[in-house]
Amino acid sequence: MRPILLQGHERSLTQIKFNREGDLLFSCSKDLTINVWFSHNGERLGTYEGHNGAVWTIDVDSQSRFMVSGSADNEMRLWSVQTGKCLFVWEFPTAVKHVAFNEDDDQIVCITEQRMGHQGAIRVFNINREGDGTNQSLEPVSLFHPVGSKPTVCAFPYMSGLILTGHESGKVALFDAKTGDEVLNNERAHMDNVTDLQLSADRSYFVTSSKDKTARIHDAKTLRVLKTFSTETPLNSAALAPDQPYVLLGGGQEAMSVTTTSARQGKFETRFWHKVFEEEVGRVKGHFGPVNTIAIHPQGIAYASGGEDGFVRVHHFDESYTKAKPYGDLEIIN
Amino acid sequence: EDAVEESTVSAELIAYRKRLVDEWNAWRLQTQEEVLAEKRARGSKVDTKHAEDEDREEIE
Repeated sequence: MRPILLQGHERSLTQIKFNREGDLLFSCSKDLTINVWFSHNGERLGTYEGHNGAVWTIDVDSQSRFMVSGSADNEMRLWSVQTGKCLFVWEFPTAVKHVAFNEDDDQIVCITEQRMGHQGAIRVFNINREGDGTNQSLEPVSLFHPVGSKPTVCAFPYMSGLILTGHESGKVALFDAKTGDEVLNNERAHMDNVTDLQLSADRSYFVTSSKDKTARIHDAKTLRVLKTFSTETPLNSAALAPDQPYVLLGGGQEAMSVTTTSARQGKFETRFWHKVFEEEVGRVKGHFGPVNTIAIHPQGIAYASGGEDGFVRVHHFDESYTKAKPYGDLEIIN
Repeated sequence: EDAVEESTVSAELIAYRKRLVDEWNAWRLQTQEEVLAEKRARGSKVDTKHAEDEDREEIE
């Protein structure tokens, strides 16, 4: 499983995303830029320039037509994937920490930071897909301020009208997208900051990672914790493999890098866990700093990790991985 | 290699894993039904793959 190294970012990676087909990989960074790469060979296809602050978050729609980004410059931008042009800019009083498309690509949810007299906010925007994409509404269809712990991550689950969130306190919650009411929560989903939240393909369950050194799988409807993966390091990202019963976890503490970093390969690992048995099945080393973000190819043939070290590593799985049945012939429904 | 691995795993552990898989699969089948019901309620097009899966499940 020889990795492809994507070199192009000058500072740490904040989020990476495959498009639906998996041929493209999007990456954003504290270096103010967003890049798009061919996932099969690591060639850079283009750069989306315009943000004047760290780009914290990106998402791409299921048609690979629009990409949305959120930045420390208090802007959310809509981009044409193909031309690289910025189609629309929304401005907020504070930084945009997380963005996500819904399943039908006609709404975006975003989290803006709580800072300097401004409350943290969750906004939902309708996306006009008619025409060239430049005709968007500045006004959100809903705007609410979650009380209590700050939201850090958000997504649209399969249940319509609800927004799924992860919070600084470790809470996960469901909000009514119209009224902003918190309709359900699990205050003790984690004991510390929820750093990532990735949904299953059908949006009925999700995996979270946390600074509390665990990752967990939750039922999207009940928020019941189904599985827990306990590691010895703070986690920044967790992803669900689509075809194999695995979750991939990444994180790490910067201090660990001081000891024995070899020249070719860093010590920071992506961990593979069996999602049903809650057992660790393997690790892949590579980064020279903590792993900040992990994404898995939607066909399950590869995964990518973005590091604090400024590199993206794309690993294509060997046949031995895709055909492996380390636990025998048990059929597991993904 | 697999054979060696298999023989060293105790019968107890195999039974435990089978139970975990059965629980997981039962929950997945139930949630897949719920996702489908939600899609129908929204009136959106249900893709054929899901429809086939459901038919198969009903036969079983």
